[in-house]
Amino acid sequence: MLVSWDWLKDYLDLDISEAEVCDRLTLAGLNFDGAATVDNDRCLDLEVTSNRPDWLGHIGIAREVGVLFDLDLKVPHADIKEYAVGGACSTIVQIEDEEFCPRYIARSIVGVTIGESPAWLANRLQTIGLPTINNVVDVTNYVLMEIGQPLHAFDLDKLKGDTISVRQAMPEEKFLAIDHREYILSSDDYVIADEGGAVALAGVMGGKETEVNEMTSDLLIEAAQFAALPVRTTSRRLKLKSDSSYRFERGVDPEMIDWASRRCCELIAETAGGTICEGHVYAGSLPPARHKVTLRLSQIPRVLGIEVPPGEVQRILEKLGNDVTHQNSESITIVPASWRRDLDREIDLVEEVARIHGYDKIPEHAGVSLSASHQSDLDRIRTKIRTAMLGMGFDETLTRSMVNDVWAKTFQGWSLGEPLTSSMPMVKGEDRLRISLIPSLLGARRNNEKFSYSEIDLYEIAKVYLPKAKALPDERYMVGISSGRSFYDMKGVVETLIAMLNPNIQVKSIPFTDPMFEEGQGAHLTVDHTTLGYLGVVSSATRKAFRLQQAATVAELDLGALMKIAVLIPQHQDFSTHPAMNRDLNLIVDEHVSWAALEEVGLEAGGELIEEINFQEIFRDPKADGPGKKRVLFTVTLRAYDRTLTGEEADATIARILDACGKKTGAKLLA
Amino acid sequence: MSLNDFIKQLDDLVESAAHSFENAIREVDKQILEETRVEYLGAKSGKLKEVQKNLGKVPKDDKPVAGKRFNEVKTRLEELFQSATEAIMGGGGKGKSEKLDVTLPGVRPRLGHIHPITQTIDELKDIMGRLGFSAVEGPEIEDDWHNFEALNIPLEHPARDPLDNFYLNVAASGTGGGNQLMRSQTSTVQIRVMENHKPPIRIVSLGRVYRPDEIDATHYAMFHQIEGLLVDTNVTMADLKYVLRLFASSYLGGDVEIRFRPSFFPFTEPSVEVDMRWQDTWLEFGGAGMVDPNVLKAVGYDPEEVTGFAFGLGVERLCMRRHGIHDIRYLYDSNTKFLAQF
Repeated sequence: MLVSWDWLKDYLDLDISEAEVCDRLTLAGLNFDGAATVDNDRCLDLEVTSNRPDWLGHIGIAREVGVLFDLDLKVPHADIKEYAVGGACSTIVQIEDEEFCPRYIARSIVGVTIGESPAWLANRLQTIGLPTINNVVDVTNYVLMEIGQPLHAFDLDKLKGDTISVRQAMPEEKFLAIDHREYILSSDDYVIADEGGAVALAGVMGGKETEVNEMTSDLLIEAAQFAALPVRTTSRRLKLKSDSSYRFERGVDPEMIDWASRRCCELIAETAGGTICEGHVYAGSLPPARHKVTLRLSQIPRVLGIEVPPGEVQRILEKLGNDVTHQNSESITIVPASWRRDLDREIDLVEEVARIHGYDKIPEHAGVSLSASHQSDLDRIRTKIRTAMLGMGFDETLTRSMVNDVWAKTFQGWSLGEPLTSSMPMVKGEDRLRISLIPSLLGARRNNEKFSYSEIDLYEIAKVYLPKAKALPDERYMVGISSGRSFYDMKGVVETLIAMLNPNIQVKSIPFTDPMFEEGQGAHLTVDHTTLGYLGVVSSATRKAFRLQQAATVAELDLGALMKIAVLIPQHQDFSTHPAMNRDLNLIVDEHVSWAALEEVGLEAGGELIEEINFQEIFRDPKADGPGKKRVLFTVTLRAYDRTLTGEEADATIARILDACGKKTGAKLLA
Repeated sequence: MSLNDFIKQLDDLVESAAHSFENAIREVDKQILEETRVEYLGAKSGKLKEVQKNLGKVPKDDKPVAGKRFNEVKTRLEELFQSATEAIMGGGGKGKSEKLDVTLPGVRPRLGHIHPITQTIDELKDIMGRLGFSAVEGPEIEDDWHNFEALNIPLEHPARDPLDNFYLNVAASGTGGGNQLMRSQTSTVQIRVMENHKPPIRIVSLGRVYRPDEIDATHYAMFHQIEGLLVDTNVTMADLKYVLRLFASSYLGGDVEIRFRPSFFPFTEPSVEVDMRWQDTWLEFGGAGMVDPNVLKAVGYDPEEVTGFAFGLGVERLCMRRHGIHDIRYLYDSNTKFLAQF
């Protein structure tokens, strides 16, 4: 709200400095956002919260200053007798929907002379950045900025017929506005219409055809109340924001509409001449009665933590324009001012007292008791994962939760359902809620490849949104990882991560085919038949789709599944201090025999003396071993808990392993 | 002597020899190296020589195995001596270590980085944790009730405008909870906690929130909030001011003054904007207030029995000010050059 300093002085004997006024207003809820000099006046920029439409006019601001500095407010009487003649306003007003338009006041003025506004009026509008048009339009704007009630002046001669109605627009109804643009309306919009059609977009903008211009002689002055929601809907849909729509969206004072109408007519007669018809039209209902609100004085310390003297409580509430109807040592009852529809509960009065009395009176020391706080398991796990990823050289990133329709279906390992869509995109084209983090991480790789960065190792811990019929979606935290490292390097990262959370867990890798992975280079990770995640080498088709130049590997782990296997507080396990024996084995096996199969057979056959079996390498020599064979070299580490192993024990164990591998996988020891 | 005993002697010998040669390498001492050589490989009374004498005592049938193992151990000891000699004498065997150019750069292991938003959130959670507030999370996709109704935001409130929210295209009738939307504030979590727990409540809720916005240097349609909530008997605005002062002092270091400016939020009343005075300027901190009685009623509390305060702040703004980041888009661009700074 832009405020003219000079204008404020119309209502108050103000001999306090601008700086002091602005300081106090800021601490009373009218945030001072700056000031500028305009000719001989000062323009103050005050930020008005949406609950205080009464501050959208100079009188409202002046009233607040009056409360803060204990000054009396002088409001003009808006007396039109001097300019009025008998006779009724000739126009009939019909309201189709009182929900939308509870009341509509019309007055007519005849014989005005359109011209420039007097300097005092023009200057004030100029101070607050409003253009001057002519003496009639300027007065409607002036009164709007004085009391916050929008007004509109129609050229009475241009209205067709004797009736205007407030009605819903017809579908596709056309409306030519005073901005000279034609708008196509829908039945969500409301218009003021005469016999010929819409003459104003109710609460938003007047129409070109009934606009006041230099030829105008007779006027119809509209002062009405329109409902907030439809005005906002229309104004947003048509991208037509006006000072009027802004005020209707926040609510006008229903009991000051007539004052505004009279004030407007008075000033028009004063500046443009003409006579006001004494009779006016009042369509709609009377403003609803205002209800009493009682403040128990005990609520003040209960909520604010400080005492405020009862006399001060009364002064504040009264000065704000409320009528005190009852008061005793325990409570005070008021009827709120008509412009304060926001005051209808006890807590509203507590806030008013606090606001004017001053929040600076509330001390910064209080006796808040001690309390234990707990770190959630989720937080513990995430911290562990971040620490591990940090050590393994990965940068944490955060990417948008919504993606475009192509990215949305790039990886469907977690859900084959149709990704959820939003009615608004987050950025152009991105309106799908992601069901995997991997596409976003591939997008992140591309952002980095653009700069020719070479080592792009990224991870993100964020949610995916798996659609669920008839319920809120299944939101799951995922750990998404992407890198330029090899499949086995990526698998090692995943294994290290899992081993850090639980060193004893057995994770199964199952070959996994998916368009996102290169054929034969994807894996599905499970623990006890529960999916832990997926990893693989990004297929060249996917890389092409994401415009990636370099090879990439990705992995995605379900954080919930990780939480289930994680051991948050590791337990010590006694270990052998006796020496270990290592035996290297080099087996020739058929190509299809997987390492996991060989390892499983080895572990089972070897029994409890096996500490670990470590894969070393695979070597192929088709000339020596024949086609379809591979040599698998690995090391078996043997150790007993309670003694030093003997050579015989070791030999026997190794022999068992070889025998079992031979029987179950056809492996032969390389001679 | 049984074969086992003999092999045990050999194994022990390798173990102790390895230990001694390692010691020589560690000390980089030619003298120790020579003494170790004599002790184990000495031609006259080296320990290997001693063990060799026992070879004769092994039963005849076991001799081939025992002999094979002995030879392996002998080779092993010679290898140990050889590698220790190389380690101590250097490649040229001149007895002097290589002179390093200590000004050459070290070989740095690659270290990752934690996102500045995460670091800021962790710091805020940590401070609030010390003040007794436990961190909680909730769903990012919410229904009308938790995002609006229970927070005293009625249907006609502008905050519910479809253009200002990410409503999901799901049939409202099927969900039971009305419309679904990406939550526009983390207060939703507070509602969920209060619905399921009796007072006292002392939590911080945090996470991603979503509001449609043109993305530019200072606006992003996705951001993070952290909100504190304390509900108990006898909670006042003085408690709010005190907790915020402790919070601000912990975050900024040193004593910090707190200022309340009246404001308006549907879910608190009285509502205030909070400023912190830091190095002679007032910094905007966030919004706060006393939990609105309608909110307490919505979750089944009796506003005559309990009161509460709540405060909320945008993580991005704090993070950007803290690290001197001037463009919010950096936070979500995944540029590794940016990420590697934190």
